[in-house]
Amino acid sequence: MTTKFALSLVNRRDFLLTTAAATVMAGVSMPKITFAADKVVKIGFLAPLTGEVAAWGKPGLDGCSIWADWVNADGGIKIGDDAYKVEFVAYDDEYDPGKARTGAVKLIKEDGVKFVMMLGGDPWPGVSPVSDKEKMLFSTLLPSDLTPETKLLVAPCEVHPIYNVTGVEWLAENKPDLKTAVIVAQDDSLGKPSVATYLAAFEAAGIKVLGDPIFFDPATTDFAPIMSKMLALKPDIICLDTCYADYVHPLTEQAFQQGFKGQMISCTADFYPKMVEKTSKEFMEGFIFQFPDFDDPALNAEHVNFRKPNDFFQEYVKRFGEGEWSAVSWEYASIMDLWSDAAGRAGTTDPEKVLEAMQVGGTGKQAFGEAKWWGKELFGIDNALVGLWPVVVIEDGKARIKEFKSIPAWWDKHKALMIKHMEALNQMYYQRS
Amino acid sequence: MTVELLLQTIVNATYAASYMALIAVGLVLIFGVMGVINFAHGELYMAGAYVIVALYAGSGVPFFLAVFAGLIFVGLLGLLMEYGLFRPLRENPLGGLIASIGFLLILQTVAVLGFGIRMRHVPPATQDTIVFMDGVVLTYQRLYVIVATVILLTALWLFLRKSKFGWALRACAQDREAAALQGISINQTARLAMFIGAALAGVAGALTAPLVAPTPFMGHAVIITAFIIIIVGGIGSLGGAVLAAILYAFVYTFVTTIYDGTLANIVGLLLMLIVLIVKPTGLFGAKERA
Amino acid sequence: MPERAASPKLYWAIGAVPLAAGLIVLPHLLSFSQQEILVLLTINVLLVCSYRLLTLTGEWSLAHAVIMGIGAYSSALAAKQLGLPVPLSMLVGAGAAGFIAFLLSFPLLRMKGFYFLIGSFAAGEIIRLIWKWSELTWLFGGPKGIKLIPPFPDIEVFSIDFYDPANYYYLCLIVVTISLVILYRIEHSRIGLTFHAIHWQDKLAQSVGVNTFRYRMLAFVVSAFFAGLAGALYAHYVGTVNPNRFGVEEMVYILIWAIVGGTATFYGPILGVVVLTVLNEVVLRALNIDQMRPMLYGAILIVSILFLPQGLESVVPKIKGWLAQRRQKRAIAKPPSEAEQPAK
Repeated sequence: MTTKFALSLVNRRDFLLTTAAATVMAGVSMPKITFAADKVVKIGFLAPLTGEVAAWGKPGLDGCSIWADWVNADGGIKIGDDAYKVEFVAYDDEYDPGKARTGAVKLIKEDGVKFVMMLGGDPWPGVSPVSDKEKMLFSTLLPSDLTPETKLLVAPCEVHPIYNVTGVEWLAENKPDLKTAVIVAQDDSLGKPSVATYLAAFEAAGIKVLGDPIFFDPATTDFAPIMSKMLALKPDIICLDTCYADYVHPLTEQAFQQGFKGQMISCTADFYPKMVEKTSKEFMEGFIFQFPDFDDPALNAEHVNFRKPNDFFQEYVKRFGEGEWSAVSWEYASIMDLWSDAAGRAGTTDPEKVLEAMQVGGTGKQAFGEAKWWGKELFGIDNALVGLWPVVVIEDGKARIKEFKSIPAWWDKHKALMIKHMEALNQMYYQRS
Repeated sequence: MTVELLLQTIVNATYAASYMALIAVGLVLIFGVMGVINFAHGELYMAGAYVIVALYAGSGVPFFLAVFAGLIFVGLLGLLMEYGLFRPLRENPLGGLIASIGFLLILQTVAVLGFGIRMRHVPPATQDTIVFMDGVVLTYQRLYVIVATVILLTALWLFLRKSKFGWALRACAQDREAAALQGISINQTARLAMFIGAALAGVAGALTAPLVAPTPFMGHAVIITAFIIIIVGGIGSLGGAVLAAILYAFVYTFVTTIYDGTLANIVGLLLMLIVLIVKPTGLFGAKERA
Repeated sequence: MPERAASPKLYWAIGAVPLAAGLIVLPHLLSFSQQEILVLLTINVLLVCSYRLLTLTGEWSLAHAVIMGIGAYSSALAAKQLGLPVPLSMLVGAGAAGFIAFLLSFPLLRMKGFYFLIGSFAAGEIIRLIWKWSELTWLFGGPKGIKLIPPFPDIEVFSIDFYDPANYYYLCLIVVTISLVILYRIEHSRIGLTFHAIHWQDKLAQSVGVNTFRYRMLAFVVSAFFAGLAGALYAHYVGTVNPNRFGVEEMVYILIWAIVGGTATFYGPILGVVVLTVLNEVVLRALNIDQMRPMLYGAILIVSILFLPQGLESVVPKIKGWLAQRRQKRAIAKPPSEAEQPAK
């Protein structure tokens, strides 16, 4: 009985394929659904889904579910002669390298995924040998994972923290009278390189950084003393570095309560409406950060590659609720855009061929525009995709993109500064043991 | 250090000492009477904060009413722990520890499932501030915590000194068997201690919720601080816990302000280690227990 | 457990053969990812058994995860920075863990019970902060730790590649078996008996001239040595170590394994770590309820501690007794028809 059933399926598929081919040959435009086939390509999602770091994984998986629904409703992605439906297989790595290794093996050898998206960070080095041996393509959101050895790891969406230079550059151009800044950051693998980036960006912009950057422990709960210390230096600008939302909020609130009147700049400002609520519209006016809401009309610009950003934002809010939108909501989905495009061009799902197609010509379609594969000098390998990045400013309680600025343009002018500060904080790839 | 920064730091430290004292006193009370290290104490604090998220931020219940609800709710959680976990495990303190870890995982997951894995937001009950010396700021929200701590701890002190229950509680903390021989109901005393201890953590969570942005994992950092404090103060000494909370908060806040937070953590741990080596019964002695 | 004539030894001999055969065949019965879990589980068996040795003296440490980390860090650094061969660097790692424990024992072993528990916690946290400390990033790599740790060298003659979890499992199995035999021998030697004596009759042991400090130190150092060895096995398999990996959560897991399994017998903690790992990593993951997983794990902990307060190990004698009873009954009653007998 089973065999019969399977046979009939095969026949059906053959039938569909022949008809489909015939229609295409005939030049009749048929809805893509005709291709829709029983072929499925599986994509691995290996990120923390429980525990404290889950806030960096779970929303991304949510975003991917929208991406998959849309793509599959559209008939799937076309690779070679077939249309494939996309299915995500998630594994909770609990932000632990050993469990991430187990997860990578399961995804690759048991689920047969063709590409694995990771948050990166601590778990990546555990996965790295698996990537080498199984010849599997991985992506990370944290390019500090990149080293000359990581041939099959790409950072195709967010090249943290290099894009932070755009915010500082914009600030210097638009508010030239602000001359001094203090930097505060949590003392971890995310905070350190980001501090180096801001130091370089401020120096390039002719803004003086007062005192040493202030590092705090990730377990800090009361930010009043830190803010008191910063305000005692009487800066024009307070730079919150790449603090997590859990720190950006209380720090901003403290700045407000302790009477700070100057400029604030930060990498992220997730859930900023709540910050407006806790402080005031006036206080938050002009707050600069780097992650737009995707209902921003500026994202409909010609050069933006992320598909239907405004609709994506609406759908996300509809499914997961108002105020759940965060920086990672869209990032994994945008990596999928890049991958499916490359797989389509490669005509195969073979990881190495897809990577080759992805990097052909040294450029790629990053979410915000055409970008180049870069990173040799900073990471020892050109596996990071950089191009334009938005500068976002809060105006009247709403985040708006003010300008897309070019990261490579800044880099070409000021790379010596960046390398100097990265080295001073032991963040260059050859210093990271 | 300018005078302004000095005063601001004192204000900051006073606030920190207050909520730390609330949490540490509850932990000491539970340890003193039950003989159990309640690892879930940080999660009780978290539960208090989420009561505010649900009632005050979510349903518009007035702030102080919501805080009171937090006190009762977390106190009841304490009763549940006493009845379901610690009573059956009375002769097995390590078992109690493990059970409290299990309970902690459950509370965290409930918070994740009910409110999401991310931090929640609680608008401040008031934006008013007291400004003195032209730059030293104390917000009302923080003042509430300080005042509530003083009131609650005074009330607890009076209760322990003056009431029959308080007397029973102290007796149990000193010697459980002897207390039982005196006709004191161990069960009732344990219930009382768990309710009060948990409720204090709950109040601390509820009052600080607008100041810290609650997450399901917020208890983690708090429990470690609380352990340091009760060691420095002397396990089982309520007065010691309060004094140690003040000492720790001032040391921590000043080191953070003058140097940095990582050093402050190291100093805090070293303080505890030195106390353990030099005077294991704690700086403020264990002579006077509970 | 009291020894009963010659029969237990016979039991062991009869039991050891199928056990060994089972452990050797095991990886081939598992899926790829289960083999990975098996490697980590084997390492954790050593970790929790080394922990039990310390608990024999009555002390419960909260530094054990950090001590495992010392072994992992030291072994990684010895192999990577000093270029020592990996098998040697593993011993260096274990030795370093033992040495640090020796140093720590001077302040820590002045304390007892709850104070020791918390004191060991503080000492462990300070070591973790040192790993994270920015001044020492050049050595320990800061919060990101050390990566690209040299793997265990392949044995080319037999073309054994230790990337393959089955092969690394065999390596771990050998190392862990030898370690367990040593730990077992220590426990059943005069030294081990002294540990027990210190636990139950501290003052008495002292009064008959036992230097309790020395013995407690010995237990602490030996237990640290094997924890460090477990850390080294971990480091060269996963290829990376970082401070968070050896934090409080990991320590809590060790405690849970030991207590849920029970520490009265040698096999108790092993039962604990095996059963809980299978439940958490295989059963709960298969249920596909990622967000709920910690809650179910918590519930399992509570249920097991409430209903098996003496640990899983207490089930074994019960089953034995139950089986013996059945056998007796069967002997007394007329032998029932074959069909009625249970399968096992």
